[in-house]
Amino acid sequence: MRKLINKSTLLAVTFIAFGLSSNAQINAKTKKAQKDTEAWKYEIECVGIGKPGTKVIKVWSYSKRAKVATAQAKKNAVHGLIFQGYSGGGQGCTNQKALVTDPSVGEQKKEFFDNFFDINGGKYMKFVSHSSDSTPEVIGVKIKGYKFKVGVIVTVNTSALRKDLEAAGVIRGLSSGF
Amino acid sequence: MKKTLILCGLIIAGITASFGQAKKPTIMVVPSDNWCIKNGFTMEFDNEGTKVVIPDYKKAFQQSTEVKLAVSAINGMMADRGFPLKDLESIMKSLESDAAEDAMRTSKSGAEVAENPVDILKKKAKADIIMELTWTVNKTGPKKSITWILRGLDSYTNKQVASAQGTGAPSMSAEVPVLIQEAVTAHIDNFNVQLQAHFDDMFVNGREIILRVKVWDDWDYDLESEDFGDDELGMIIEEWMDENTQKGRYNTTDMTETMALFEQVRIPMYNAKGRALDARGFAKVLYKKLKGDPMNIPCKLVQKGLGRATIYLGGK
Repeated sequence: MRKLINKSTLLAVTFIAFGLSSNAQINAKTKKAQKDTEAWKYEIECVGIGKPGTKVIKVWSYSKRAKVATAQAKKNAVHGLIFQGYSGGGQGCTNQKALVTDPSVGEQKKEFFDNFFDINGGKYMKFVSHSSDSTPEVIGVKIKGYKFKVGVIVTVNTSALRKDLEAAGVIRGLSSGF
Repeated sequence: MKKTLILCGLIIAGITASFGQAKKPTIMVVPSDNWCIKNGFTMEFDNEGTKVVIPDYKKAFQQSTEVKLAVSAINGMMADRGFPLKDLESIMKSLESDAAEDAMRTSKSGAEVAENPVDILKKKAKADIIMELTWTVNKTGPKKSITWILRGLDSYTNKQVASAQGTGAPSMSAEVPVLIQEAVTAHIDNFNVQLQAHFDDMFVNGREIILRVKVWDDWDYDLESEDFGDDELGMIIEEWMDENTQKGRYNTTDMTETMALFEQVRIPMYNAKGRALDARGFAKVLYKKLKGDPMNIPCKLVQKGLGRATIYLGGK
């Protein structure tokens, strides 16, 4: 009986240890991906005109694991529209300037953006969704150790995003001061 | 005691908030002359022998669903940005009904509503910034696309403060209204970025206005008279402009003995008391200086919207 208990304990400890280790691995990869986003390691391009107040864009994220890059796409999309914008192209796309016109805002409001882009439930999730009719496009690349470049089409509710940033005092609204 | 303090705080905050608001420019979407003429929404009149063609907005709104859609889509998206626009069609209807009411109204003593020729001339739909809209439908075989031009024009300085233009993606199946809606969606953000930059510039460098000084022909003096100080009247006015414009920014475009035209005049958004300032508010200070001691010049102040004011010297 005692032997059986010992075995069960050993098995349980092994499972927990394995679980913790895989969690730690996921966290480490997520953190890496988070770092990649902060270092602007992504590209965005317009793929069409969405409904009023939204932007349909394709986000190319880089990572050693394709899955992590896919998961980061939403965050990169929102980050890109706030800080980068994109140039126009086919499908009637016009160039879109970044919502933030002053590049130093990212540093000035660092705490706000750290919370906003928190991978564990950051507010950015409210403004972005995966396009239902697209599958991620995965390209193998070798740029500074990266292995995958993953393109995901997402829809960003720029109207709501802008209103949120205006309410937080990050950007000025059209009627600010009047 | 505590309650009194809180109440005082709230009152002060309220007053500060009301003073802290600058005068908001009005914006209105108008189909361009080019679009109206191309689509036949015009009217003609004989101006002393010369045939003049002008856009007929009423006809355009009554007969074109496309123009209604485009204007309504822009109005909707601007309202969403917290900046509702004046609606041209509604203003035209209001002007008509006001005119009808004024024509029928009499006082108890039988007098009619007073209206001078300038009042009649000014009775038209106007806004501080006009969003002028032009689009053309391009056809290549079965494909259709839309070329879109949206310009934001300052009504007083005649400067283009924002613009967005481009040609949408060609489509074989989409109807023109759908293409118009797409064009609005695609271009309005870029337009608003430039409009925002214009407003930001306004808050940093001041509102840009035009100020004119004119002289009635029955006045015994003019802008070259030296009876009002150490220098000619025109020069005294220029000195006042140096001292009162934002960072001394203005151009004396024209200065003769009978008129002075000051353009690109940058005025502060608020006066010394913290109240919002526009062209009339700014010109009123000069008007009071000219009218008061020791100059005592009889004068008249006329405004045109937020951005243009004229002072007439020599009488009311």
